[in-house]
Amino acid sequence: MSELEKNVEIEIRDLSVTFKDNSGNDVQALTAVNLDIYKGEFISLLGPSGCGKTTLLRCISDLQEPTDGTVRIDGMTPKEIRLKQKFGFVFQQPVLFDWRTVKKNVELPLEIMYESKAERAKRADEMLELVGLQNFANHYPKQLSGGMQQRVNIARAFGSWPELLLMDEPFSALDEFTKEKLHEDLLRIWRQTNKTIIFVTHNIQEAVFLSDRICVLSPHPGRLSAIVDVDLPRPRTLEMKDTQHFNDLVLKVRNSFEGGSV
Amino acid sequence: MKSKKEKMLSTLLWIVFLVIAWEVGACIVAVTKRSPENILPHLYQIIAAACSTKQVSAGMSATMVVLTSARATILRALVGFAVGASIGFLLALIMKLSGFFEKMLFPYLMLIQLIPVLGLAPIILSITGDINKSRIVIAAILSFYPVATNTLAGFHSVEKEKYDLMYIYAAPKWMIYLKVLIPSSIPYFFTGMKIAAPMAITASILVDTLQGDGGMGCMLSQSLKHAMSIYVFWLIVIFSAFIGIFSSYLMNWIEKLVSPAKRVG
Amino acid sequence: MAQKRKRPKSLYHRAKDNQQFQAAMTVVLPVFLGMVILVLWQTQTLHQIFHTDTFTLPLIDRIGTIFIENRAKIWENVKATMTVALIGLVLGSLLGYLIAILAAFFPKMGTGGLSVIGAFASIPVVALAPVMNNWTKGVSSDANTRSMVAKILVVMLIAAANMGLNAYRGLTELKPYALDLMAVYAAKRRTVFQKLQLPNSVPYIFVALKVSVPASIMTTIVSEYFAEYIIGVGRQIRENIVLAQYSTAWAYIATACLLGIVSYVILMVLQKILLRNYH
Repeated sequence: MSELEKNVEIEIRDLSVTFKDNSGNDVQALTAVNLDIYKGEFISLLGPSGCGKTTLLRCISDLQEPTDGTVRIDGMTPKEIRLKQKFGFVFQQPVLFDWRTVKKNVELPLEIMYESKAERAKRADEMLELVGLQNFANHYPKQLSGGMQQRVNIARAFGSWPELLLMDEPFSALDEFTKEKLHEDLLRIWRQTNKTIIFVTHNIQEAVFLSDRICVLSPHPGRLSAIVDVDLPRPRTLEMKDTQHFNDLVLKVRNSFEGGSV
Repeated sequence: MKSKKEKMLSTLLWIVFLVIAWEVGACIVAVTKRSPENILPHLYQIIAAACSTKQVSAGMSATMVVLTSARATILRALVGFAVGASIGFLLALIMKLSGFFEKMLFPYLMLIQLIPVLGLAPIILSITGDINKSRIVIAAILSFYPVATNTLAGFHSVEKEKYDLMYIYAAPKWMIYLKVLIPSSIPYFFTGMKIAAPMAITASILVDTLQGDGGMGCMLSQSLKHAMSIYVFWLIVIFSAFIGIFSSYLMNWIEKLVSPAKRVG
Repeated sequence: MAQKRKRPKSLYHRAKDNQQFQAAMTVVLPVFLGMVILVLWQTQTLHQIFHTDTFTLPLIDRIGTIFIENRAKIWENVKATMTVALIGLVLGSLLGYLIAILAAFFPKMGTGGLSVIGAFASIPVVALAPVMNNWTKGVSSDANTRSMVAKILVVMLIAAANMGLNAYRGLTELKPYALDLMAVYAAKRRTVFQKLQLPNSVPYIFVALKVSVPASIMTTIVSEYFAEYIIGVGRQIRENIVLAQYSTAWAYIATACLLGIVSYVILMVLQKILLRNYH
C-alpha cells in the first residue's frame, strides 16, 4: 500500500481500560494506546495473553467501553458504527447455531438487517462458495469438522458486507494444516472484498504471514510497544514462509516485545 | 449403527427375560396361592381377558372398560399437561426477561419441586369441587415446574459469544429472544416435558381414585374391590405403565419432528 | 475532538449495577412475595380468588393451632412416612447402584437392562402401589407390617431406577484418557473400578439423590393412599378430607411440605460435607 492511498479509518487516542479483579483491585488492561488504522488494511494485534489485545478489539467493536480515551471510526463512535451494522466479527469459537443449517447460519446477520429472502439466499450462496462449502449448505453445524465450522463463521462475517472485519484469534483452535489452508482462503477473500481487517492473534508467524502491519502489545500493564510494517509482497504464498525475509520479520517482531522473553 | 442394534437386542433380551420371570412367578403363585389371579396371573390370561367379549360392567367388555375410562383420564392429563407446559414456558420466559421476577420467583420454583404435590390432590379436589378441573389443575402443577426449571436452564445456557454476536449486529431485543434464546431453550423445554408427561398421567389417574367418575383410576379401585373382573385391574396396570412409558417416547418423537437438527448426526 | 462525557446514571441503572443491592434483592423479593401471599390468605382475599371458604381453606392461624394440638399424632404419622421413604430410598439406591455396577461391567447386556429400568421409572406409582399390595399379602399377619413392606417396595423401585441410570453414567462417563492412563499402567479391572470409576460416580450419586429424595417422599405419600393399613402423612390428608376435617388435613399438608424441604436441606448439607474434595 503506497503512502498516497493511506486513508485513516480508525483513530484510537489515549485509550485506557481498567478492570476490577476479584479482590477489587484495579487491573490496567490497556494503557494510553494511540493507533491509526487505514482503510482496507490487514492489521494484526499481536501479543501474549493478558496484553489487552482482545480488549482493544472489543473497544473498537463497542463490546467494551474504554475507561479513558476515544475510538473514532470514520469520525463516528464505535456505537454509531455498530448501530449502522457495519461490523463483522469472527470469534475464536465458531459460535454457530445448532438448529440452523449452514446456509441459515450465514444468513443470520442478513435477517437482522432485514434483507429480503432472495437477497439473503443469494449472498449466503456466494459466501459459501467463497469458503468452499457450497456442498454443505443444508448440513447442520454438528455434521461439520472444526475447520469447516470456522469457515462458516468467516462466511457469516463476510456475508453482511461489513466495512470493518474484526477477528478474535479465529484460527487458534485449529490444527496447523487447516490453519494454513484457511490463511490462504482468508487472504483471497480479503483481496476480493477489500475490507479492513483487524486480526487478533498470539501467533507471530500467523501475524507476519497475513498482515500489512503488526501492532505488538506487551502485558502488565497492557500497552502498545511497537508497530512493525510487513513488506512481504502480495499475494502471499506459503513458500514465502521459508524465505530469509520472512524469518527476519518474525525475529524483528519477537524482539519488539517489551519486558524480555514471553 | 452397530451399537444401536446391540442395545435394541439387549433390551429385547431383557424384555424376554422379564416375561419369563413373570411366567415362572405366575406358575409358582398358581400352585401356592388360593386366588392367583389377584397376585400374579399368567400373561396369557390377561391377554385372553383383553380379547374376550364377555361383559364385565354395564354392557362393556374388559378392554372397552379400560379404553373408555382411559379416554377421560388421558384427555384431562393432556389438557393439564398442555396448560402446565405452556405456563412453565411462559414463566421461564418472564423470569428471563425480568431479573425482578426471576429473583422473586426462583426460590419458589425450587421449593415446589420438594413439595409432594400429589399429596395435595384431595384438597384441590375439595377446593375446585369438580373432578375434571382438579385433574387438570394437578396435572398442570406437576407439569409446569419441570418445564419451567428446564426451560430457564436453557435460557441461561446461551453462551456469552452468542449475545456478543447479536450485539455486534445491533439486533433488537425481541430478535435476540426469537432467534437465539427461544431456539436454544427448545431442547431443554423438551427435557422438561419428558419428565412432566408421565407425571401428568400419574396425577390424572391418582385424582380418578379419589372420586368415582369413570376414570382409569376409578376402574382400578373398583376392580380391586372386586366390583368387576380383577383382569380389568391388570389391564389397567399394564395399560397405564405403557402410557407412562409411551408418553416419554412421544415427547422424543415430537422433538425430532420440530427440530430437524436433532435428526442428523 | 469531542470528549465523551459520562452522563450521570439514573437511579435505576445505579441499582442495576450495584452488586450488593442485587444480592439483597435475591432475599428481599422472595420474602416479600411470601408475605404478600400470607397476608392475602389471612385476609381471605385468596379465598375470593379461588371461590372457596375458610372451611376448605382454613386461615393460617387455625392451621397452626391444629398443628400444635395434634403434634403427637402428626409426629407418629411423620415417623411412619419417613421410615418407609428412608428405607425405600436407601435400599432402592443401593440396588440401583448395584445394577449400575453390573451394567458397567457387562456393557453388552447392561445398556439394554438400563433402558428397561428407565422405562420402569415412567410407570405411574398409582399402578405399582396396588400390585405391591397384592404381592405382599402373605408377608406378615400384621396389616401395618404388610403395608409398610408394600410401600417400601414401590419407593425402592423408583429410587433404584433413578440411581441405576445416574450411577451408570458416573461409572462410565470418565474423563478423556483416564481409562487409557489406567491401561498404560496395566491396572487390574478391580483397581480401575476402585481408583477411577467409583470416585467418578460419587457426584452422580448426589445428582440421583436430589431427584430421589423428593420423589421417594411423594411416592410414599401416594402409596399410602392405596395401603391397607391407615397411617402416614399422605393417608391422613386424604382421610381427614373424607371426614371433612379440612383444618387437620391442611396441618398434614403443611407437614408433607416441611418433610420435603427439610429432607432436601439435609441432603444438601450431607453433599457439602461429603463432596468437599470434589470440584
